[in-house]
Amino acid sequence: MRPGLLRTPSPLPGFGLSFGIMMTMLSLVVLLPLAALLGRGLAIGPAELWDMVNSRRIWAALTLSFRAALVASLVNLVFGLLLAWVLVRYRFWGRRLIDAAVDLPFALPTAVAGIALTALYAPNGVFGQALAPLGLQVAYTELGIWLALVFIGLPFVVRTVQPVIEELEPDLEEVSATLGARRTTTLCRVILPALTPALLTGFALALARSVGEYGSVIFIAGNIPGLTEIAPLLIVIRLEEYNYDAAAAIGIAMLVISFALLLAINAIQIWSRRRIGLV
Amino acid sequence: MSDIAPTRPVPVTTEPPLVRALLIGLAVAFVALFLFAPLVTVFAEALAEGGRGVIAALSLPDARAAIAMTLTIAAIAVPLNAVFGIAAAWAIAKFDFRGKAVLITLIDLPFSVSPVVAGLTLVLLFGANSALGAWLMANDIRIVFALPGIVLATLFVTFPFVARELIPVMIEQGRAEEEAALTLGAPGWRIFLTVTLPNTRWALLYGVLLSNARAMGEFGAVAVVSGKIRGETATMPTMVEMFYNEYLSVAAFSLAAVLALLALLTLLLKSLLEWRHADLLAATRRH
Amino acid sequence: MNIEIEDIAKDFGTGRALYAVSLSIPSGALIALLGPSGSGKTTLLRILAGLEYPTSGRVRFDGADATGLSVQDRRAGFVFQSYALFRHMTVFENVAYGLRARPRRTRPPEAEIARRVTRLLELIQLPDIGPRYPNQLSGGQRQRVALARALAIEPRMLLLDEPFGALDARVRKDLCQGLREIHDRTGLTTVFVTHDQDEAMALADLVVVMSMGRIEQVGRPAEIRARPATDFVRAFTAA
Repeated sequence: MRPGLLRTPSPLPGFGLSFGIMMTMLSLVVLLPLAALLGRGLAIGPAELWDMVNSRRIWAALTLSFRAALVASLVNLVFGLLLAWVLVRYRFWGRRLIDAAVDLPFALPTAVAGIALTALYAPNGVFGQALAPLGLQVAYTELGIWLALVFIGLPFVVRTVQPVIEELEPDLEEVSATLGARRTTTLCRVILPALTPALLTGFALALARSVGEYGSVIFIAGNIPGLTEIAPLLIVIRLEEYNYDAAAAIGIAMLVISFALLLAINAIQIWSRRRIGLV
Repeated sequence: MSDIAPTRPVPVTTEPPLVRALLIGLAVAFVALFLFAPLVTVFAEALAEGGRGVIAALSLPDARAAIAMTLTIAAIAVPLNAVFGIAAAWAIAKFDFRGKAVLITLIDLPFSVSPVVAGLTLVLLFGANSALGAWLMANDIRIVFALPGIVLATLFVTFPFVARELIPVMIEQGRAEEEAALTLGAPGWRIFLTVTLPNTRWALLYGVLLSNARAMGEFGAVAVVSGKIRGETATMPTMVEMFYNEYLSVAAFSLAAVLALLALLTLLLKSLLEWRHADLLAATRRH
Repeated sequence: MNIEIEDIAKDFGTGRALYAVSLSIPSGALIALLGPSGSGKTTLLRILAGLEYPTSGRVRFDGADATGLSVQDRRAGFVFQSYALFRHMTVFENVAYGLRARPRRTRPPEAEIARRVTRLLELIQLPDIGPRYPNQLSGGQRQRVALARALAIEPRMLLLDEPFGALDARVRKDLCQGLREIHDRTGLTTVFVTHDQDEAMALADLVVVMSMGRIEQVGRPAEIRARPATDFVRAFTAA
């Protein structure tokens, strides 16, 4: 392909080189492997593919992955908003430490998070022992999966909402007050709608990440087939059995979910940009 | 009128002190419970048998091989990622062409693909039962269950990091300085080295930092593609899993503690960059 | 150096910026491209510098076809509207940039570069600001540094895009005078873009009035004032 035909000419040099490097690496690293997965799916055929996915164990795994991701992202939606608001609007001792710590789930390897959470919430762990008298078991139940996914998804909502709160104009809140609105009314009717697109974007990003999460979940989940076995783990199991077609079938199902979420994120961003010029 | 007692006006742009204290308390408790507690646990469990236990664990041949493997992978994948990020940012920010939005979406794609699926795609592409895999095997080229496969998997999951930080910064800085350098007669490579790179170096460093943290910590994709062969293809995170599953708790948490220290170092450097160069990174944060 | 513009037209994706304009700029003249925003004046200037490619037409420098000449080879001293000073370099490094960027064969030795930069800083009457960074300068100082940087490459012509646009009235007057003096001293063919008719009339030998991608009139300031060729010129110059 000659990109020159599709681009506005520019005197700046290096377009061919940089475009070439970009497309080569994008193709080799991302597009070709994804094409291999989809190609495998085509070779298997849609009917066969459906038969392979349509088993109770796989449905249980897919719905579990999606359900747990949904619950965790909803928790993160609430606490992410709370954290972002507190970090931007209030001044308190240790604020910067908390602000920096929000990115810990991005920086900490997922396997490390996984074994740490398991150690904490296992029946003989510090939190596990404390919760046992309440009849609450976290580790090796679906609750444990929710917990791991809350950890993983926490930064997404905070980091998408935070800059938007920073750029909110104080005028809006003052105007609302001069028009006789109480503080709670201002928060619900003025602030929250302005934050909604960012909240939705953060929610969708957290959801996309959580649905496919593997490392932090498998240690705490207990991995009981049909109960606490997540979809990515099922792919790993099928691969270990050298059942590549079945692994590909589950992989394609997950890819479809990911693409749907990606489309949703883009749609939210386009919608919000058109309506209020905010992302 | 005059009998209304003058009270202090209620501020209209913040919450009452009690509510504020409550919200701050909730936020701090949430962070302490969900973030600090697991972090402390890593170090506590590693030190369960004292400092000697940690040293003994880290001197295990498997642990040392895993550390070497992880360093090797990061040393290959991170520079490649930086090259890609710089090339992508230059092409996207400095030129106008059609299909740019689609391209950016494709670059972001790895963020929404499960790491396990990423590993799976590589196994399907290069594994023994694909056409390409059979040919590679015949020619004695190993990709899956070997270093090249792990590097590819790492590249996949870290792919957007550098590009995502650089693109908004380069777009915000515009083309005027590069054009000025052009009119002064500077050749292309010189413009890049003396004008573009200095202007974007903090954003580049930021992206490299994040990319490196993820490269060293990646688990799912690497677990699938590496085959987790001890002393050969096992990385630090996959070795953590194997130690843990063998009930070698101190060994698992010692290796995990090294990774956690790396994460803390990453966060520290990242925060320093954000505080010192807030203006230069503003564009990435708005992204 | 004289500049011939022959039927230069420019299409952008969204529409036409220039409709086949022709213009002859005599060597050593000081020319103003005058017009409202969207008149195509900046596009024409950028085409002269090689920063924009014309859709059709030709540019000749001293009779030689320069249409396909690269930006670097044109040696056009260009002053950007925003000045585009390199933020991370001192004033000295900014002015020296073009000389240091030359290939080794034609690059002056460092001592010679220092001498030339010092002379240029004296020319713009800011001899002491070499060690400072652009963000430590006032708007007027930045403009003059950008001018010195453009002059350092010993350009064949000087092109300025709204050189006084971002400045307040008093500074603007001083700098207009400064540009006139530098032009007269160097004898460089100089083209500047402006939307301010007072500035154009006061400074230029020849004013080119543009509107909607077309040249409306070319003439000496007095001619244009006395005999506007079109209603547009009459309305625009009366303002």
